[in-house]
Order: sequence, then C-alpha cells, then structure tokens
Amino acid sequence: MRLAFLLNGEQFETEAPGSVLLLDLIRGCGLWGTREGCGVGVCGACTVLVDGDPVSSCIYLAGCALGTEVWTVEGVARREPDLVEAFIEHEGLQCGACTPGQLVMAAALRARGKDPGEAATREFLAGNLCRCTGYRSIVESVRATLGS
Amino acid sequence: MHHVAVVRSQVPHGRIVAIDCREALAAAGVAGVFTGRDIGLRPYGRRVRDVPILAVDEVRFVGERVAAVVADSRSAAEKAAATVIVDVEELPPVLDAEQALTPGSPRVHETPWAYPGAVVSEADPHNLQSRVLHGRPDEVERRLAGSRHIVDRVYRFASGHQGYIEPQTCVASVDAEGTVHVWMANKSPYRLRAQLAACLDVPPDRIEIHPVAVGGDFGGKGSPMDAPLCAELARRTGRPVKLVQRYDEDLTSANPRHSGRIRVRIGCDSDGRLTALTADALFDGGAYAGFKPIATVSLHGLVDIGSSYRIPAAAVDVRIAYTNTVPRGHMRAPGAPEAVFAFEAAFDELASEAGLDPAEIRRRNLLRTGEANPWGETWVESRGLETLEAALAAYRPLDVDRGWRHGRGIAVYDRPTSPGKTSLRLLPSAEGVVAEVPMPETGTGAHTVVREGLARELGIEPGLVEVRQVSTAALPHDDGVGGSRVTAALSKAVAEAASAYIDRGSDEAVTVVVEPGGNPPVTAFCVQIAQVAVDPRSGQVRVLEILSAVDVAQVVNPHAHRLQIEGGAAMGYGLACLEDLVMRDGRVWAANLGEFRIPSTVDVPAWRTVLVEGGRGVGALGVKSVGELSNVPTAAAIAGAVADAAGVRARDLPITAEKVYALLRSEEVS
Repeated sequence: MRLAFLLNGEQFETEAPGSVLLLDLIRGCGLWGTREGCGVGVCGACTVLVDGDPVSSCIYLAGCALGTEVWTVEGVARREPDLVEAFIEHEGLQCGACTPGQLVMAAALRARGKDPGEAATREFLAGNLCRCTGYRSIVESVRATLGS
Repeated sequence: MHHVAVVRSQVPHGRIVAIDCREALAAAGVAGVFTGRDIGLRPYGRRVRDVPILAVDEVRFVGERVAAVVADSRSAAEKAAATVIVDVEELPPVLDAEQALTPGSPRVHETPWAYPGAVVSEADPHNLQSRVLHGRPDEVERRLAGSRHIVDRVYRFASGHQGYIEPQTCVASVDAEGTVHVWMANKSPYRLRAQLAACLDVPPDRIEIHPVAVGGDFGGKGSPMDAPLCAELARRTGRPVKLVQRYDEDLTSANPRHSGRIRVRIGCDSDGRLTALTADALFDGGAYAGFKPIATVSLHGLVDIGSSYRIPAAAVDVRIAYTNTVPRGHMRAPGAPEAVFAFEAAFDELASEAGLDPAEIRRRNLLRTGEANPWGETWVESRGLETLEAALAAYRPLDVDRGWRHGRGIAVYDRPTSPGKTSLRLLPSAEGVVAEVPMPETGTGAHTVVREGLARELGIEPGLVEVRQVSTAALPHDDGVGGSRVTAALSKAVAEAASAYIDRGSDEAVTVVVEPGGNPPVTAFCVQIAQVAVDPRSGQVRVLEILSAVDVAQVVNPHAHRLQIEGGAAMGYGLACLEDLVMRDGRVWAANLGEFRIPSTVDVPAWRTVLVEGGRGVGALGVKSVGELSNVPTAAAIAGAVADAAGVRARDLPITAEKVYALLRSEEVS
C-alpha cells in the first residue's frame, strides 16, 4: 500500500505491505534510534509519537500512521535538544537501550503542560521499563524539562 | 545480510525422529535450512562444554534450538521456520532438581561426566552438574550441638530472567581467508573468542570479536549463546547472518537465574554470638551446565555465605542438578542474593530465639578489622560495623496508611574487589588522546571511568579523550565485564598507561597490560535497611524505602556510582517481590515482559544512599567494587521487614501478597 505521513516534520512517502509495523518501517529508513525490546508493547523501548500520542511502534501497523505526524527519537532530539541535555545532566540513562523511549515520553509529557508532580510522572512513565537505573534519575531528568 | 530464525523444541525431553525441512527450503528468500545432523555435535560452553549448536538426536528442554533457517529477511526466515515439522518421540522428563538426583530418575544426558570441562564423575548421582563442599562440617556439628540457640530452616527462591531491555543478538560473517567475524551483545569478548575457538576448532587468531555497545547485561550476556550457530551458518551459506532473539525466545531459552532452595542451620551462644553455620543448597541448573563461567561450575555466592560475620565454624554443600528445563546461567552476583536472603533470614530467626534485636545481633557478630571471616579470608579492613551504624543513624521511620503495619528489616553483604586482567592502548589524536579499550560498555560507565581518569592523569579536558572499544585483534586479553571489576581494572590500566604515555620519548602509542594479583585484600560492605507497609487484610506488601549504606574508598564518578547502588537495589527489589519465571510442565510460562514482571517506575520504593567514606581500595586511585553490592542484601532486608510488620516469615521468594495472606491466615488458624 501507499503510505504517506509527516516523519520528523518532513513529508514521507513509501510503498509497503499492509502488514508492516511502524517500528520496522522507520528502522528501515535508517532511523535506528527506535529500538525493539519486548516486541509486544510492554517495555516502551520502541515508543514514538503519532499525532502527539506516545505509541508502541512494535505493535502499531504502519498503515495506521497514514496522514498523521510521526516523531521518532531522532526528530524529538533535534526539535527539543534540552531534553537530551536534561538526561545527560541528571544521568537519566545507563546502557541506553530504553533511553529513546524515555526521551520520547519526556516530550509527550511536556506537550501536555506543566509538571504534574512526581507520582503522576511515574504513572506516565510506568510503561517504559529500565533495568539499569532504578528510575530515580530518569524521573528527575523528565521532570527537569517540565515547567512548574 | 541474511537473517536467522530458529526452530525450537516444544517438548521438555524427546528423541528427534525426523525433521522435515522441505517446505522451508522451497520458501521464497530462503538460503538454507540446517539441523543438528548437518552441523554435528560440537558442544560449547563457558567452562563445561555441553551445549549443542543445534540439538542432535535428542532435545532436552522446551525452547532448545532444533533447526535454523537462513533467509533474506527476518520475516521470510520466521515464516519458513514455522513450516519445519519436527517429529519427536517424547521421553519422560525430569523437571525438579530434587527428583533429578534421585536414583532411577530420567537421564538428562547419557554421560554428563564426558563433556570437556565437566566437574562430575561416573560415580556421582547421574544428573549432577556440580557439587562444591567447603568448610569443616564435623566442627560445625560439634559446635551446633553445644549452641544455646539453633535455627534450622529452608529458604526457597524462583528462577528469574536478567531482564535486559536489548535481547540476545549476534551477527557473524566469514571472510575470504576464513576468519570468523562476530558482532554480538556480549560482555566478555576475549573469553567469547576462546570459547568460540574451542567449539569451532579454529585458532583464536582466526576469530575476531568486534566492538558492540551492550544494551544491558546483568550476567546474562556472558555466554557464546547464538554465536557458534551464527558462525556455522555464515560459513555454510557464505553470507553474513544476523540472529536477534524475539523476547519470548530470550525468556524461554536463554540463561536465566537458578531457582533452588537453601537449608541453613545456624547457632549462637546465650549472648547471641554465632557459633556455627552450615548451608545445604540445591539449585536447578536446567538442561545444560555450559552457561556457568567459573571452573567449579557453581555459584560463588554460596561459598561466601556468612562472610560478613565472625563465625568459628562453617560449612557449605552446594549441588546443582541437570533437569529438562531452560539452562540456567549467572545473574549479578550469582548465588549471593539467594545466599544472603537465606542466611540473613535465619539470622533474624535466631535473633528472635535469642531475644535480641536484629540490629544488635548483627552489631555483636560483624567482623572487626583483622578478624578472619568464616572462610579464612582476612581483609585490610572490615568496615561492617561502621557501615551498619551509618545505616542505623540515617534511618527514619516512614508513615504507613491506616490499617497497614510498618516493618523494618536489616541485611548485610560484603564483596571483595579483584580487578583481574585487562589492557589499554593510548595514542595521540589531533588535540588530545585516543584510549583503545578491550572492554565493552554495558551501561556501567566503564568508558567514562577511562575518559575522566585519563583527563585527570594527563591534565587535559575530558572532551579531548576519545574512548574507543576495539576488536579482539587489537589488544591483549581482558577478562570482560563482571565480578564488579570494571572500575578497579580500568583505573589501574589508566594510571599505568598515563604514566607510560607521559614518559615515552616519541609520538608512539603505548600499550599496557594489567595483570591480576598484587592487589591488597579489599572487601566492601553494604548494609541495607528496608521499610515496608503490609496490609494484614490482603497480605499486600508495599516497599517504602531501601536505605543503602555503602562502604567506599575513592568514588571515581559519583553519578555512575550512585546509579549502580540504586539500580542494584531495584534489581534486589524485583527478586524480593516480583520476579518469578514460572515453569509449568517444564515450560517457561511467561511469553513477554508483561508476564515476567520486572520493576517499573510505580513499583520501586524510594532509594536513600549513605556513603561510608574513608575506606581503603585497590589500584592507584583506591576503589572498592560496587556493581554487585546493593542488589545482594535487598531481598533479605525486605523479607526481614515483612516479618517485622506481619509477624509471619515468608521463606519463599518472591514475597507476594498471596503468600503473605496465606501465612497470616495459617497463623490465625494455629
């Protein structure tokens, strides 16, 4: 099928089978920042934004993105470099496997408005697993970018 | 690049009658389909070499590799793999470690003693993987008989997956000269090269392991895993091949933590001073022993049990059994969280018998500097008591909701620091230096240690130091990531390399090799205090806080150091409360990370860390290990806190609401 959507702010068009997953499509474009972890929408490593909403691209059919605006970690990092800086400053990562998903979630939370507090931030990030850090530094990184 | 999909056994034990690959071979994009008969029996392993590349004639666990399909895309390979028909005659499986060591039980392997590196003999119980006897059992019995108080209990723990976010993954190719090239999420490239060389029967210099950043390890990424298969497939198809495990494959067929039980017998005198300790441990090792990296093919955490205390006599007996379940491997301080859970729980129960507070009984028994631990080791300093006092001084009880009960638990662990072997090459760059290192970055900050260390030693900005992991062809041997050695080893290499670099008379590169040995005997203590709230109506446990007091010398990077402590405690929390790789009929039941639950942002308690500074470390900087410290006592501390809150003791990890509820009800009935 013919697929067309905005990818990281630019018009993107391709031919792809109807069964192709958004994750495989964007990685196939050389955007390797989006990672496959669990492959079933549980760990959050593959999170991207579709019309501003975070989705697990490993279980999202690329065809469903038709006519939408998709942002991957590469686009988010370019659009909002202060998010990356916050993760570096607050050491919100160790091995980095979950980091793209965490960064995209940070952008999604910021787009919703001011800092909802620690508990609500943790609730928002509950679908993004990290095995390294114990989360404190990730939550601090995310909250550092939110207006109070 | 071609992709590999694996056909796996659906039964725990069986004889392969036939494998029909015809449809897969005819499928679009398929370059080849291979079985164990094609590859031959060339077992691999980290010590014992008992793991077949593909099952030959017999399958021994659900998830075992039976055939492999190579195709031009991942989906083509997976679709073709689904058409392979494996005709298996089922054999009776043995699914329980206790049963496995009973005479007459089904045999997982015909001649387990015949594998290279095996540590068992024909005279041993048939399904034994290893047995380690350590200490003085006669002296223990004599002293227990004369003890005022004795506790004799059995503690159990489930299997668990390391839970790295990046699954097991490997790329291999063979060049025109026949050299095998491997890119793999593996934490010890030089050991991988040696293990692959032994399996493929080629000299190590015909194998090159290329640098890869590892997306989480925690002990699960130290084995050759799929590398021997990928190397064989690359050789046979003449193409580079890539195998990325789907996470369900990783959960069901990689190398998770051992499940098992430990019986602890411990005694003290009327003052609560320990008299003797003995531990009898039995672990389920699964279908293959080849994923254990130490020569004893055991779990070192058990032979250190009770190490933080003054105990006049101690003994352990550690057995690991073959069963028809997923092969078990190592995970962050292998065996130590389980041993410390069992020991500290028994110690709490002994304190209760002796009428002593858990803090007080530990205060009386912690090693003082100069005293040998139960296993005869003496350290330059033993700072357990200072560390305990620091934890107690920082402790602040938290409020709990109405109707919930508050509990506090304390646990202690100490771990030696041994840097092992590594190397480093330093060469000039346009504005600074390039440091070539043999060790992958697994997320611990290994490369940051090198960059910051060299910047300090050479008096330049950290930004002018480029740290580059290089292939195994470029540097002398390195032991890999593990054993909490990374900072200790690399900071030694940094100091030596910087000094040689400054002293060199030319623009040449310098290469240094850090040999093991020559280090002062150093151990690091960690004392944790867990606070929990327990709802007596439902048995629900909320862990409120883990306070970690950590015995440190020089801290190289405070952020990375703190994250090791917090991330470790999070893993300990998972072991204590969540993680259970449930098996039914020999099959790992969890198909994804939602069914095998690891901690999320909303599960974890608050972390508080207190550094007990002023310790003496190893190397030029003077560092103590931290990577496998804080994950160890957490489950013990939480178990103690739950017992304190609920008045009943859970002796079976993970401690779930269901278990606590059942204990509370049985207490009511009695």
